[in-house]
Amino acid sequence: MFSEEAAPTAQGLLAPPSTEASTFARVPVSAYANCSQPFRLGERSFSRQYAHIYAARLIKMRPILEERARQKWGDGVAVRKLCELQVGEKSCVVGTLFKAMQLQPSILQEISEEHNLVPQPPLPKYVHPSDELILEDELQRIKLEGAIEVQRLVTGTILAVYGSEQDDGKFLVEDHCFANLPRPLPWKGPSSDRFVLLVSGLGLGSGSGESLLSTQLLVDVVTGQLGAEGEQSCAAQISRVILAGNLLSQNTQSRDTINKAKYLTKKTQAASVEAMKMLDEILLQLCTSVPVDVMPGEFDPTNYTLPQQPLHHCMLPLASAYSTLQLVTNPYQADVDGIRFLGTSGQNVSDIFKYSSMDDYLEILEWTLLAGHISPTAPDTLGCYPFYKSDPFILTECPHVYFCGNAPRFQSKLLKGEDGQQVLLVTVPAFSTTQTACLVNLRNLSCQPISFSGFGAEDDDGDMEVGH
Amino acid sequence: MEDELYLENIDEFVTDQNRIVTYKWLSYTLGVHVNQAKQMLYDYVERKRKENSGAQLHVTYLVAGNLVQNGHVCHKVAVVREDKLEAMKSKLATIASVHVYSIQKALLKDSGPLYNTDYDIVKTNLHNCSKFSAIQCAAAVPRTSAEVSQAQTSLQAGSQTQSDTNAVSVPVVNGHGPSTTKQPSQQPKGIMGMFAAKAASKPQDSNKETKAEAKEAPGVSAVSSKPPAKSNIMNNFFGKAAMNKLKVNSVPEQPKEEKEVVKPSVPVAEPESSPNTVVEKPGKKTEPARIQQKDKKSKMKRVDKSDNEEERDPENLKRKRKRIKQLQSDSSDEEDVPPSPTPEEEKAPSPPPVPALKTELEPASTEVSAGGRRRKRKRVLKSKMFIDEEEGCMVTEKVYESESCTDSEDDFAKSKPPAVHKQPALPMKKEPKEERKNLKKGAANANRANKQISITGFFQKK
Repeated sequence: MFSEEAAPTAQGLLAPPSTEASTFARVPVSAYANCSQPFRLGERSFSRQYAHIYAARLIKMRPILEERARQKWGDGVAVRKLCELQVGEKSCVVGTLFKAMQLQPSILQEISEEHNLVPQPPLPKYVHPSDELILEDELQRIKLEGAIEVQRLVTGTILAVYGSEQDDGKFLVEDHCFANLPRPLPWKGPSSDRFVLLVSGLGLGSGSGESLLSTQLLVDVVTGQLGAEGEQSCAAQISRVILAGNLLSQNTQSRDTINKAKYLTKKTQAASVEAMKMLDEILLQLCTSVPVDVMPGEFDPTNYTLPQQPLHHCMLPLASAYSTLQLVTNPYQADVDGIRFLGTSGQNVSDIFKYSSMDDYLEILEWTLLAGHISPTAPDTLGCYPFYKSDPFILTECPHVYFCGNAPRFQSKLLKGEDGQQVLLVTVPAFSTTQTACLVNLRNLSCQPISFSGFGAEDDDGDMEVGH
Repeated sequence: MEDELYLENIDEFVTDQNRIVTYKWLSYTLGVHVNQAKQMLYDYVERKRKENSGAQLHVTYLVAGNLVQNGHVCHKVAVVREDKLEAMKSKLATIASVHVYSIQKALLKDSGPLYNTDYDIVKTNLHNCSKFSAIQCAAAVPRTSAEVSQAQTSLQAGSQTQSDTNAVSVPVVNGHGPSTTKQPSQQPKGIMGMFAAKAASKPQDSNKETKAEAKEAPGVSAVSSKPPAKSNIMNNFFGKAAMNKLKVNSVPEQPKEEKEVVKPSVPVAEPESSPNTVVEKPGKKTEPARIQQKDKKSKMKRVDKSDNEEERDPENLKRKRKRIKQLQSDSSDEEDVPPSPTPEEEKAPSPPPVPALKTELEPASTEVSAGGRRRKRKRVLKSKMFIDEEEGCMVTEKVYESESCTDSEDDFAKSKPPAVHKQPALPMKKEPKEERKNLKKGAANANRANKQISITGFFQKK
């Protein structure tokens, strides 16, 4: 999208200096509202059990699912609770899914002495052919079998199954359905081209300088320093930059205190300190030119459990002097120029990836949208705050742009729903490995990747084509 | 004429200084718009090559455009060497921009040095990094200090609500009503400053303080965030009880601070330490032997010693030397290993904070001398020997014992006027030190004035 507009003046700067150098004004922020209030935690109490989240989830989603069940299997379908089931009677049951996985890491098993187990190394996927699905509602649970894909589904999903109870006490499933896309939001998008840049996985502090030049090029394009005049005027239409997590690299995580002797590690500074300073400088350059939203990610200095709270502004002294810097939660929801954005730094999707047979990040992203919940595996396998009366991860309104960060590669898809919903699904790739960011055009919900590269010693003709 | 100037400049940079001249570097150095810088570079290359085709000049270009990759159209932005320029251009379906990125004498193997050049020049120009850019953003204005302090107070609101209610009881807890309002706020700052210096216990802290000396201007808006930060550090050392007191103390600080001159926010790290340390010093000077404080110190000592000894020692040595140089009078006290409050004390004599301190010290010193006349009970570590009948042996135990003593303050209150701001500092300093280190008894200072006149003098004060 940049290129077509910029093409006419592409070679304009291959000329002697002109007297007037044009400056473009950044598109003003027309309508921005941060809607992440449900993800903000105030006083935190960890003395609760996690059962409350599941109860809240089921209570909230039950009416939606019953509605869907009626739409799918007819109004006369008998919606029953598990305790009311009759053997052989076709009925529909709404409940929470639990997948009993053999390979799922269990801390109790690990520390149990009688089992004498060696701790299991982390696997990329924990699925196993012997996994079983169990449906739980408020009072009982029942094993599921039949027309249901055990491998694909994950614990914590609320779904409705249609079938009948067998003599052996298992439920034979004939069909099932999810909450499907939530209700649509009215469209208030801009009439002219406006872009939002989505970047994730900057990975600062990794110790390897490969992506540093690319990061600098990214900042230069956005701030209007790089490129000919056409490109700069297009870049002026970038109204926002969203950094979706993993600003720091995984290498900044530990001081290796476990393996090294204390006298070696005692006074060493955590690698994240230096990385935060670098981040501060980069953010300063961006903030002087464009509004930036910074979401924390898996390796960033904030809390571990979802929802992750914003980074503290004291870590970014230079950049937080500017009002264009916004430190936001993970997941993040906001209205940008009338378009509703919702996204995470990728922990939810990668967790589902581990416990399901689904391989494609975009597919998983779409599935979470259809299941009506951002992160069903929390709190089972993904750390989550023990909410009490509410579950803020339930999708109540359909966003216009739904993204997840730190994906292995860039993918995007425009999903259309039955009720007129239009969602742009974007998997934002990790910048440190792919040097690619995403530009979303708010006018028509299209998305284009933008990638950067320098040149290296081994550079030859074939190198550029390799999916960088 | 002006045209020629930039050509000469670039020539000088590239050939004489053998620099890598990127467009960004040139833009900042000559103070021109980035696009003009790119054009200048292009112009230079053209002219140089026309004059002298064998010129040793290597150019890198920036190419951007559409590239079909993995089935979708990707906007590619790449820095390429001159020899690869045409190849890159042919790969792109549409070219969005081409311009000179950098000029250098040597052939670059990879783009690392380009990054370094840009990084350096941006680092030195962080405060106006968008000045020569082609895009100006109207919304990017620094936050006013009012907004900053509002944001900070809203963050602290939760943690400070408890301390607000206790604020009134602070003077009562201290045991005597403060004559000046400054005292309770300075004393806690003194405690906190002491503990923060010990707790942080890094050379960085002392560096910050030395820097603070140079800058007097208080960036107050950021100060309020430091006390909570310090309280957090202190949390690690103390239990809840002591913690509450510290929190309480930080509250009277803040309203006071916020009333002071408000400066537009500047990089937070530096200014925030300056007012704090300035205020800490008077705080420390007004902390004559106070029981509550001593309790804290004695508790702190144990914990602190184990963790921070090594860290403190190199600092202490450094400070020890400094002290000798500046004070010159108290040579006999040097054997006391001075703990961290001393740097604050030593820096007090240096010019900038002195005027501020002096005024604060006048009331402080009079306070001290007035207070010093009183007999005070202090807890002193003493060795007690007793005979243990069961074991049939003598046991020596070190116990804390309350001892009343008045000597310390008396001696110093009589000291000469010019050194007045130093001398009152010393007794204050001495006592915390003694409490902590317990190398000298409470009458140790008195020994300096009453050197052993006769042999019986040795047995007098025990």
